[in-house]
This record gives sequence, structure tokens and C-alpha cells, in this order.
Amino acid sequence: MSTALELNALSKRYGSFVAVENAELRVERGAFLTLLGPSGSGKTTILMMIAGFTEPTQGRILLDGRDITALPPERRDFGMVFQGYALFPHMTVAENIAFPLRVRGMTKATRDEKVRGALDLVQLTGFADRLPKQLSGGQQQRVALARALVFDPALLLLDEPLSALDKKLRAELQDELRALHRRVGRTFINVTHDQDEALSLSDTVAILNHGRLQQVGAPAELYERPRTRFVADFLGKSNFIRGRAEPGLVHAGGVTLRQHDATSGDVLLSLRPEKIAIAEGDNALDGRIASWSYLGAGYALVVDTALGALRVHLPSWRAPVAPAEGLQLRIAFAADAATIVQDDADAP
Amino acid sequence: MMGGYKPGWFARTLSWGTAAYLVLPILIVIPVSLTDQRFLSLPHHGLSLRHYATVFASPEWIGSILQSFWIALAATVLSVVAGTLFAVAAWRLDRRSTQILSALMLLPLIVPSIVYAIGLYRYFGWWDLLDRFLGVVIAHGVTGIPYVVITVSAALASFDPRLEQAARGMGASLPQVLRWVILPRIMPGVVSGAIFAFIHSWDELIIVLFIASRDVFTLPRRIWDGINENLDPAMAAVAVLLIGMTLILLLLDMLVRRRRDD
Amino acid sequence: MRRDAGWWALLLPAFLLLSVFYIVPIVQVLAISFMEPEPGFGNYERIATNLSVQRVLLTTARICIITTAIALFLGYALAYAITLASENARRWWLLCVLVPLWISVLVRAFAWVTLLRRQGLINQTLMETGVIAEPLALVWNEFGIIVGMVHYMVPYAVLPMLASMREIDPRLLAAARGMGASRIQVFTRIFFPLSAPGLVAAGVLVFIFSLGFYVTPAILGGGRTLMVAEWISLQILDLIRWGLGTMMATLLVVTILVTLAVFSRVVNLRRLFGGAR
Repeated sequence: MSTALELNALSKRYGSFVAVENAELRVERGAFLTLLGPSGSGKTTILMMIAGFTEPTQGRILLDGRDITALPPERRDFGMVFQGYALFPHMTVAENIAFPLRVRGMTKATRDEKVRGALDLVQLTGFADRLPKQLSGGQQQRVALARALVFDPALLLLDEPLSALDKKLRAELQDELRALHRRVGRTFINVTHDQDEALSLSDTVAILNHGRLQQVGAPAELYERPRTRFVADFLGKSNFIRGRAEPGLVHAGGVTLRQHDATSGDVLLSLRPEKIAIAEGDNALDGRIASWSYLGAGYALVVDTALGALRVHLPSWRAPVAPAEGLQLRIAFAADAATIVQDDADAP
Repeated sequence: MMGGYKPGWFARTLSWGTAAYLVLPILIVIPVSLTDQRFLSLPHHGLSLRHYATVFASPEWIGSILQSFWIALAATVLSVVAGTLFAVAAWRLDRRSTQILSALMLLPLIVPSIVYAIGLYRYFGWWDLLDRFLGVVIAHGVTGIPYVVITVSAALASFDPRLEQAARGMGASLPQVLRWVILPRIMPGVVSGAIFAFIHSWDELIIVLFIASRDVFTLPRRIWDGINENLDPAMAAVAVLLIGMTLILLLLDMLVRRRRDD
Repeated sequence: MRRDAGWWALLLPAFLLLSVFYIVPIVQVLAISFMEPEPGFGNYERIATNLSVQRVLLTTARICIITTAIALFLGYALAYAITLASENARRWWLLCVLVPLWISVLVRAFAWVTLLRRQGLINQTLMETGVIAEPLALVWNEFGIIVGMVHYMVPYAVLPMLASMREIDPRLLAAARGMGASRIQVFTRIFFPLSAPGLVAAGVLVFIFSLGFYVTPAILGGGRTLMVAEWISLQILDLIRWGLGTMMATLLVVTILVTLAVFSRVVNLRRLFGGAR
């Protein structure tokens, strides 16, 4: 694999406001990268700079090793699915998809053939003569995809492509999008604020906060080994435990915990609720259920312990007792269950 | 509709009265134009079209009507091209400097025509544009720009800027974006602006009064002379024709706007 | 910036046309007022010394204020009725406003002449029915000018007021009624205060349009009552006194621009013309 897209010390400032600070990123050819972050984190600004709609204040953008920082959008060779799709309302589906071919001066015959191929690709054969407003949200999204891919661009940019759809449709289209990515084998860059979407779609996720890249990696790596408190908190739920480390141990709340990678100094532990069990183990604690709720697949408990209130997720079928407020129990987690994370001051 | 809330008797009477005051005096020229008398009056014994016949048989009236029409048409083209390009670019660039420029474009609506007219009177003397077709076209074209800028800007307000980005991203050049994406969407606004620019030129008197005299003698100029010199029923016939023209153009505008709203 | 060069170029035709054929002639008017007959403020000193100048300024101010007041009053009633009308009725009401707005000002002045002159339709009817023995002087005086000007200005008064009235949430009126407010209280306490910005905008607009109004005062004033615009035309075309004429023109433009600047927050010309539906 080789590098398709590279961001070099990319920054964007609006006056004194820093939208993106010093972003460094390499995207492998054929990868599906998601820029994930809360609103205002700078993820859309990065996408717009890659597209050329926003000029960076500093830094370079390389596409296949070629510096495209100064190029206008129409000379960059990317397809884009816009938020809300931006389908031309006065053109039919076929005319919409043919648009990028038309501006490249292709003949009508070539255009028709490619449009047919693109419609087949997104399974909209037979919809060629409809107007965008006659389509459902999901169909519009697929037209936008076809239009973005029809001219074989090096790069596909997706700006919150699923945010306009309802939850069930979103899940379906996630599967389709992943399948499409495998079929066309191009580099996809997706922007979203939805953690589930990022985890399930992408092979690489880049997490942003306040204009800075926090961590880049495979979804499982980010989830299992978050480097900062923000990442741990933004991707799923986490308990945070403050303590003092010595080799292999962490002292917190009057308890000594076994922690495989502990060395020394003040540390912050991130512990996922589903890694705690009602059982004996490396780190066992007495606790009392402060509150609980039933989630179908499992129970969410809040358990008061010497470490403070801990969130615990139990699969229903493994819950040894029916939860009740005030119930005394003993919980435990393994020495490698928690991760030591950086405590970034401005985590939400 | 205000939730079934209705105006009281006073407001109702006053508003009906005002509407009558606005409309009826204009309508009065219709019966007057059909009078069988030789002076301005309501018909006495019966209706007659003789005053219309007089107008259509008069080379002066017909000449002025044609001249006004060609001037208005040429001025409209000028206003529409300049105004539309300006409005689109100002919308797309949308920054402080273009906002100031847009405000500047509205000046011809604010500054009284008389001030502009006396300015042009001397200025066009240097350019040798006095009493010339081209001079009147330029003056009317420039003062018609604000109408186009306003209607096109209004049409652009509901235009999704991402469509322009999308087209750009797919490789379209600026002329392609203009021709294939933006213009088809704002066409109703452009047509509206063209209609208003046309009416503006067609009815314009004050500038013409100063920068034209013999060779260019537009319809408003002839009506002006008619009102000041001989008030005869042929004037009423011309007035009715003008009203009809305005109504047709406004109707056209309404149709265009309705299509835009669909 | 560089990437937007094409867009900047599109601004050029309008910008050049306006600069070369609009701004320059007007700036030249301002310049002449200081340069002719001799350089200095001589023309402006006439405001203090010349009776004719003072008379025309006073007449203009008086007529404009009366016109604005009446146009606002009538326009408010009309806008109020349009706002409260049903969707269907509203279309017809709007037509009553928009059609006169776009009909040639000459045609309208002509219509008023046929109605108001000594042998006009109103005097004839009144005399034939025996209400009066002598024809009334309805035109070629201030009365005639005001009748014609108000007629011209009412549509301009209605549009901004209508825009601001239509932004009033109808549920507020119903809520006030539900809380026991009378019809008059609903109007004075709720509707009127909320529509006030539109009223001010309409007032400014009508006033500045009235100031430089030429055609209607010239026709319905019959040369006896001079307002600023006609006075300027007289100085330039008949008396060839460029200095005085341009001085008055400058004064007119400055007054209008200052008025607009003072009220710039409430007056939105763009909305007035763009939103006139």
C-alpha cells in the first residue's frame, strides 16, 4: 500500500480563532478514513481544505505525492458527497450523475454508458429520469454517491453522508457504504460526529477535538487503548480513576489496584464499564448498587465503591442476581482491563 | 392569516377607502378614453374608439412608442447582464467589501432622478451622447441595475451554496457553473428583474427630459408634452394602453414567481 | 483571493457602468455647486439670504411632512387589513397596492388632472348635482400636489409595514384576547408596538422619496407651487443657473443620505423590493 493523501502541518485560523492546528495525517491508498469529533472540532474544516473550498492558513496537502494546496477545487480530482447531498434540483438523476462527465467534455454516448454503470453500482437502475425531489432520502444519498464516483476520482469525500437519515436507514446504508468501498477500492474520507458510524464504517479513525488531532488508528485500537481522556470519553463510555502509580500497581481511594503497565507518578485510569464483572478477580472491590437500568441486552449499573461511583455494564444473561438498589455485591476487573490515559484539561 | 382575528369597522372602512383611492382614479381613464366627445370627459351618448384610432394613425405617437420600446429593450439587456453577474458574484463572494458594493448598487433607487438628470445633462455633453439613442439606453440601463440586483439576490437567497461547491468539486469551471447550475435556478429572479428594469425604462421621464430633445422623443416625453399643452382624449387612450402594458408585464411577473415557488 | 478572481471579474461590468455613468455625473453635480459661478461656498450662502431658496425649501418640507403623515396613516390601515385578511383575499388586496405602484407616474398624474381640474369630472359632477355653484380649486395648488403625491406614496408605505406586520406571531393576538384583552387593547398594546419598526421604515422611505419628487408636483402644481426638484430643473433648463441648481441638488442628496444613515437599521430597501409579493 502507498500513501494516497498526506496532510503536512495543516492549519486554519480565522483571525485569532484556530479551527485546525497543525494537522499531520497520512491516508493509505484504498483506505476508509473517518474524521470523528464533536461539532466545532475542525473535522469539516479539514475536509473542506482537502476539497479546496477552504484555503489553509499554513501547511500542505499532497494527493498521490502531488502538492494540490494551491489548486482550485475543480482541478483536484475528488468526488464528494455533501451534507444534504447537494443534488441539482433542476436536473434528473441521470443529468445529475452525468454532470461531472459533461464538464469534462465527454461525448453523450460515453456519458450515457457511464451513468448506466453508476446507477447499477448504487442499485438505482430505472431511476434515471426521476427528479431528486421524487426520491426518498436513502435514494438521494445513493444518487449523490453515484455522482461522486462516476468520473473515477482518486478520492471520495463524504461530509456527514448519513446524518439526514433516520436511525434504521442509517444502519442499512452503513452496510451498503462499506460494501461499496470494497467494490470500488478507492480512498474514502468521511466526516462524522457519530461514534458508532465511525467505528463500524472505517478502517482508520482520526479523532479531533478543538482543532487538534487527538489520536489516529484502527477503531478497535482507539476503543481499547485510548491515549487521552477525551478519546476514552468520546468513544463509548468510561470510568475514570485517579491514582498514584508504582511499578505494576496503582493506589487509588485507599485501595491498591494491580495495573500491568503502571510505572510511577500520578495517573488517570480509564476503565470501560463492560470490563467490570460481578465476580472475584485481580482487582476486587466491595460495592453497593446506587441505581440501575435495564437496556434489553444488558443492565447498566452505578455501583458505589471505595474508588467512587463506577459504571458497570452486565450482559443480561450473565447477571448472577436481579439488580436492586442498595444491593451489596463484589465486583472485579483484570489487571489489563484499565488503560492509563493522558488527562487533557479541556475534556468535555 | 391571523388566527381568525379580524379588523374592526374603523380599520375596515379606512382600508377599503384607501384601496378605492389607489385604484379608482386610475381606472377613470378607461371610460374617458372611450368618450365620444372631442374633449376630456366621460362618454355622453355612446362609446367610441375614435381616440384610439387617432393614436394609431399618428406617426408621432407610434414613433415614440416604438422608440421607447427599443430603448427599454436595450436598456433591459444592459441592466440584466450587468445586474445578474453582479448579484451572483456578490452572493458567492459575500464579504464586507461586496456588501458595501451591493449597497452602492442601490443608489439609483435612493438618489432622486433630478439630481442624476442634471449631472448627465452636462456629462453627456462631453461624451457627445445628448439626444442619442445610446445615451438614453446607457442612462436607463445603469439606473435599472438595482431592480435586477434586488430580484436576483432574492432568488439566490434560497439557492443552496453547496450546489455551487458540488459543481466546482466535480470539475466544473466558473462559466459552466454559471450556465448549468446557477442560472437555471435563478431564472425566475432574472426574468422578474428584467420586467422591472423594462418598466423602469419604459416609464422614465426625468432623465429623458434632460438628455434628449428632438431625435429621441420617448413615449413618456410625448405624454408629458401632451399633459402640459393640449389635454385631449387621445392622451387618455395612450394612458389606457400604458396601463394595459404594465398589467401584462406584472401578470407575467406573477406567473414567473409562481413557477419559482413551486 | 486568487482563487476567487473569476468571481471578482463578474462584479466588474456593473461596477464600471455604475462608476462611470452614475457616480461620476453625480459627483460632478456636487463639485459644480462649489465651483460655479465662482469657487467657494457662495451658492450655499443663498440658503440664508435668498427668499426664493427659502420659500422652496419650506414648501418642500411642508408638503413632504403632510404627504408622509397621510400616506403612513392610510398605508397602515391598508397593511393592517392585508395582514389580517385570508390567504385568498390577501392576493386581491396586494394587487390594489402593487398595480398602482408600477403604473406610470405620468398616467397617474394625468388621471388626477382629468378628475380634479376646473372642468374635471369631480367639479362637473358636483355642479351638475347642485352641490356647488362654482368649481372648486382642486388642482394646480398644494392640495392637488398632496392628493397626487399621497396616491403615489401609499404603496411605498404599505410594503415595509406589511413586511413587519407579517412577522408578528398571530398566536400573540389570540393569546392576548384569551387573557381578556379587548380588541382595542390588543391593537394598542400588542399589534401596534410590534409593527412600529415597519412604520418607521415606511416613514423614512416615503419622506425621502417625496423630497426629490418631480413629475407629480410639476403636473399637479401647475408651476405655481414649486418643490425642490422642479425648482432645480427651472434653474438649470430655463435660468441656466448651474451653481444654484446644483447647490440645491447637493442639499437634496445630503439630506436624503443623512436621513437614511440615521435610520439605516430600520430601512431595508432590498427587502422592500425583493419581498414585494
